[in-house]
Order: sequence, then structure tokens, then C-alpha cells
Amino acid sequence: MTDLLTGATRVPVDRDATLERIHRFEALLGDPDDPDNPLGLRAVLDADERGELLPEGERALARFGLGAEFVPAALGGRFERADRFSLLMRSLFRRDCSLGIGHGVTSFIAGLPVWADGSPEQRRRAAELLCRGGRIVAAYTELDHGSDFARVSLAARPAPGGYLLDGGKQLVNNIGRAEAAVLFARTDDRPGSRGHSHLLVDLDGLPADRTERSARYATSGVRGCLLGGVDFDNCPVPADALLGLEGGAMETVLKVFQVTRCVLPGMVVGIGDAQLRAVLAFAGERRLYGKPVSALPLPRSVLTDAFVDLLICDALSMVAARSLHLLPEEASVRAAAVKYLVPKLLQDNSYRLGVLLGARGYVREGPYAGFQKAARDLPVVALAHASGAVCLSNIVPQLPRLADRAWRPALDRAPDAPVAPETVFRLHDSLPALDFARLALTTRGADSLAGVLPALADELAREATDRPEVAELAVLADVFTGELADLARRAGSLPPRDRTPVAGRRAFLLAERYVLLLAAAACLGVWRAAGTDDPFLADPLWATAALRRLAEQLGLSRDPLPEPVVEALFEELAGRHRSARTFDLFRTGLATQAVPAKGVDR
Amino acid sequence: MTEATVPSAAASPEAIRGWLIDRVAYYLECAPADVDEGAQLTELGLDSVYALNLCGDVEDHFGLVVEPTMAWDHPTVEAITAYLAAELAP
Repeated sequence: MTDLLTGATRVPVDRDATLERIHRFEALLGDPDDPDNPLGLRAVLDADERGELLPEGERALARFGLGAEFVPAALGGRFERADRFSLLMRSLFRRDCSLGIGHGVTSFIAGLPVWADGSPEQRRRAAELLCRGGRIVAAYTELDHGSDFARVSLAARPAPGGYLLDGGKQLVNNIGRAEAAVLFARTDDRPGSRGHSHLLVDLDGLPADRTERSARYATSGVRGCLLGGVDFDNCPVPADALLGLEGGAMETVLKVFQVTRCVLPGMVVGIGDAQLRAVLAFAGERRLYGKPVSALPLPRSVLTDAFVDLLICDALSMVAARSLHLLPEEASVRAAAVKYLVPKLLQDNSYRLGVLLGARGYVREGPYAGFQKAARDLPVVALAHASGAVCLSNIVPQLPRLADRAWRPALDRAPDAPVAPETVFRLHDSLPALDFARLALTTRGADSLAGVLPALADELAREATDRPEVAELAVLADVFTGELADLARRAGSLPPRDRTPVAGRRAFLLAERYVLLLAAAACLGVWRAAGTDDPFLADPLWATAALRRLAEQLGLSRDPLPEPVVEALFEELAGRHRSARTFDLFRTGLATQAVPAKGVDR
Repeated sequence: MTEATVPSAAASPEAIRGWLIDRVAYYLECAPADVDEGAQLTELGLDSVYALNLCGDVEDHFGLVVEPTMAWDHPTVEAITAYLAAELAP
């Protein structure tokens, strides 16, 4: 059951409250194309021009109680499922990713180390603060150290009664106005991975003459976000600010960031949705050679390719988010994979769609101005929290063991080879609570998602004789299984240096190929598990197109999608556009009242 | 990585140390004689996530489950040797 507005053909297994809430949330954001909507696209674009977070947007999100969405239900909040949380935030990212980041994600990130490591009192305080609309900021970044957390230098030195903070943080959302901060600080000068601790600090309680937090960094994208900085000058904080064990922060970060890396990409799918919507409107309205641009073969294939890529992104995002609950031991690799691939695919499409849009792709006024904002926001959001290179470098050292312990047994059809259970792919199945204690620094070679490729290749090969509609998918599943075998062979023979921080291009290319294989497995799994109540999702059409797109990314195919496939996909895409439905796996209704012939005028 | 698991009784401190030095030399592509047993692995070039690899190797070789953070908490060849010798003591 995916359809919120027209009702279901059968009662869903799990009509969870979050889906209802997502629908209310979308209604709260209102019609994006209504120029009088204070949360509409025009207001969003004007706020971006002013470099501020849309004030009406912040008030509306506060009224909705967005902060409670970041707090686990066990602590009084509404966070129950990572996949549904990601979907809820996707609505906001479709509208304005400055609000998504600046009023949302940053507090969600800061909450995670508290839920994972905090004392009951710290958890209670943080939960209470977020539930009443307060802010906790995640203060990790130092411009001098980038993603190199091991060398973060803000010092927390032992002092009578607690610590003395000395140093600064930069590019921290909301640091100038938040009530509390989670600081990642050095508590031990010796090298190694036990030198940093988390401190949960009450910002308003710090002595004003020892802290400076008025800095603001201007950015090319998410211009409304209040990216600030803080400087501490021997600023005292109490001993009970320590979150978890002294020296434990690096371990906690590497665990809880798996959660954010699994849910962020699913949110960012909303940006791709909004961009595709704008360009689809343009291509329907603009005429060339006596036809709408969208009727011309090249633009049509750009549009359908973008649609298929969104479905790929969503499949991997949802599978990753659901895996957090179902297969947390495997999350370290999955999180890196999804955080690498989704921003990359969206970025590639942003470029191609921008070419289609032409000058309207960069003009900051008039109809379709929403596109250029999204195109500027996307690279910033893509880099936020972990760049593609960082993600791949988390995968590289794990490749040989994954090959040994997971891929080879799966390829040998060993009876005990791990294959992800179908519930990972059943988007509406309920999930057990997320258990932070089961997240691990490495997968120890476990990967049941890749195992889906040989398993489904076998099943499809048997079925293809009676079901011609799955014949091509069967061939593709077999091709991807062959790729997994090749990857296993190459990963096993990686030279030692390519398993360390100085790994070369060869190792990174392998990691990238692996990510594409995981995306293929996610698409196959979601297609296979789809019920007959969702005819589009259960149709091999999209899954076949998705695997063809991924085969193209792998350099296995140079052929575009065949014309009948493009036509069928475009018909679905255009239908969703006309009826104001999302372009993702869920096909939910949008708050749009009437789809304008032209984009909204700024 | 594919070598047979050694019986734990045969894991004397000398054997553990020798194996660890070989392993670190393997990653660093240097001669075992050039591995300083007392040096922090981080300083040698095996920091944070990469030190985790060594834990996987230890598990595969000694047939033992160790915390992935073993090399963080015992950050030199000497320290890991002492830790493993205690773990593997009959």
C-alpha cells in the first residue's frame, strides 16, 4: 500500500502512524506553486536570496514539533523507524533543503551520540530539549582538519570540577543560537583513536567572556543555513558534560554516523524529485520543432534516466535505512555505500537536467528558479557529513574480508551463505527498534545484500522460461553476479598498500564498483518483494531499467534504454507529474493543488 | 588472510610478536626488521579505520573474536602481543 490519497486496494500489513504524519506534514507545507503560500516555493526562493532560513518555515516546523521526530520513542519522541524518518524529511528537502539541514538534520545528528552513550539524565535532558523545539548542535568540523577527525584539535583539558575548552569549531549549523552542543574534543594529546571525547554542553550556561559564537560563513548552497563557528578561550565546563567514556568519541562517531549516513541520502532524494519536476514542467511547456521538448527523443531519455536513477537512489536508501534495524552488524559498509552513491547520482542528473533546462537552469528568477537553488544546494548537502571519498575509504579496507566471508560463499551457493531476508526489502513491513549497541565498527566480512545477486539470478533464470517479461532481468542479474565474482577475485588480490590509508585508485575503483552492485541488489530485492497492490513496483520494467542504468555506470553497457522502455517509463513519470505524486518508490500525493503549465514565478 | 588458524596453544608471545610484525610489515610494504615494536601503529601509518584490519587478521589467524578496537586500546605491536598472549593463554 503506497497510495495515501486514493486509498488502498487492500488493508496494509502495517499502516503505521508515520505515513499518516508524513501526509499531514506535506499538507502543512502546502502547495509549493501557490505564490501566496508562506511556505511555497516563491517564499523559499526569496528567503534564499536574503540568505536566511525561511522564518515562517521555522515556525511551522516548530508547530509541527519536528524536534520530536529526532528523539527515540522510548525517550518520549517520535523516532521509531529510520526509513520512515528519512521519508518524512524528504518532504522538507523537496521544498527547501536549507530548512531540512538548518532546522532538521543538524539536531538529529547531535542527538545520536546522546542516545547511544549518554547517561539517563543526559538522554532525558536532550530529549526534553528537542521535544520542546530546542536545538542541539553537532560541533565536529574544524576547517583545518576537514574529515580527518583523528586530528581534531579543540582541546578539553582536565581542570578542577571538569574541563577547560580551548580552541574552536567552524561550519557548525546553528551554533550561534542553539541551547546545547555536542562537542567533539581532544582529551588526550597522545596520537591514536582514544584521544577524543564527546561533551554535551549547555551553551547558554557558559561564561560569555570565554566563548565567542557570532561567526557566520557565507556559502554557495543552502544559503539560509546559519553555518557559524565557536571559539573557546579556556572556557570551563562541568565534569558531568562528558558524554560516554573519556576517549570513546571516535568509536561512537564511527558507529552513530552509520545512522545518519543511512538516512540522509533518503532525504536528499527529495532534491532530485524537485529538480526533475521543474525540468519536466519546462519540457512539457517549451515547444521545439512543433512539439513539446519532452516529446523529443534526447530530452525524453534524460528525463526518464533521471526518474530511474531516483528509483535506484530510493531503493538503496530504504534498504540501507531498514538494514539499520534488521542487520545493524552490516551497517558500516552499507552506510558508506548509500552516502557515496545517492549524492553522486543526483549530482550527475542535476547536471544533465540543467543542460536540458538551458539558461533557466541558472537564472535566479522567473519560472523554474527553484532548479538553480536545488542545483546549488545539492553539492553542499552531498559533501555534508561525509564526502564520497571518505565513504569509499571506509569500504576499501573491508573489501578483502567481504570477498572471503560473504561474496565467495554466496557465489559458491554455499548453504550457509548469507542472503538478506525479504523483510529488508518490504518497504511497509514493521521494524524492530534501532539498537545502537549492535552497530559495529566493521562488518567482520558480513554482507547479506550482495548475496541477493546470485540468489535472485538463479531464481530468475528458472522463471524466465515461463515468464518472458523477466527474461532481460534474469540476464542482467546474471551479469551482475558475474561482476560480483570478478570483484571478489580482484579484492582478494589487492596489494597490501591498497588496504591502508594510502590505497590507490585501483582500490577506490573496486569500492565504487561494489557500491553499484549493492544498488543493483537493492533494486532487485525491492522489486521482488513488491506486492501486487503496487503494480508499478511489482513490474519488472523499472527494475530492468535500473539494472541497465547501473550496468552503464559499471561500463558494461553503452546502449541507452530501448525506446519502448523509455516510452513506458515516461508515461508513468508524466502521469505522476500531472497527478502531483512523488517520483520515488512511494508515489505519494503532494500538496500541489493544480500543476501549473509553467513553473512558479519568483 | 586464508592461512589456517593456528592452535591457540602454539601461540607463544614470541610467535604472536613475530606474526604481528610480519603483518604490519605486509601492510606497510617494508621489511619486518624495520617495524618498531614500541611505536604507535598510528605513527607507522595504520590509523583509525585501518587499524581495524589488523583485528580481522587476528581473528582469522588465531581463531579468536576480538573487539574491532583492539588496536586502538593496545596501540603498539608490544601492547597487542601482551594482550593476545593473555587472551590465548591456556
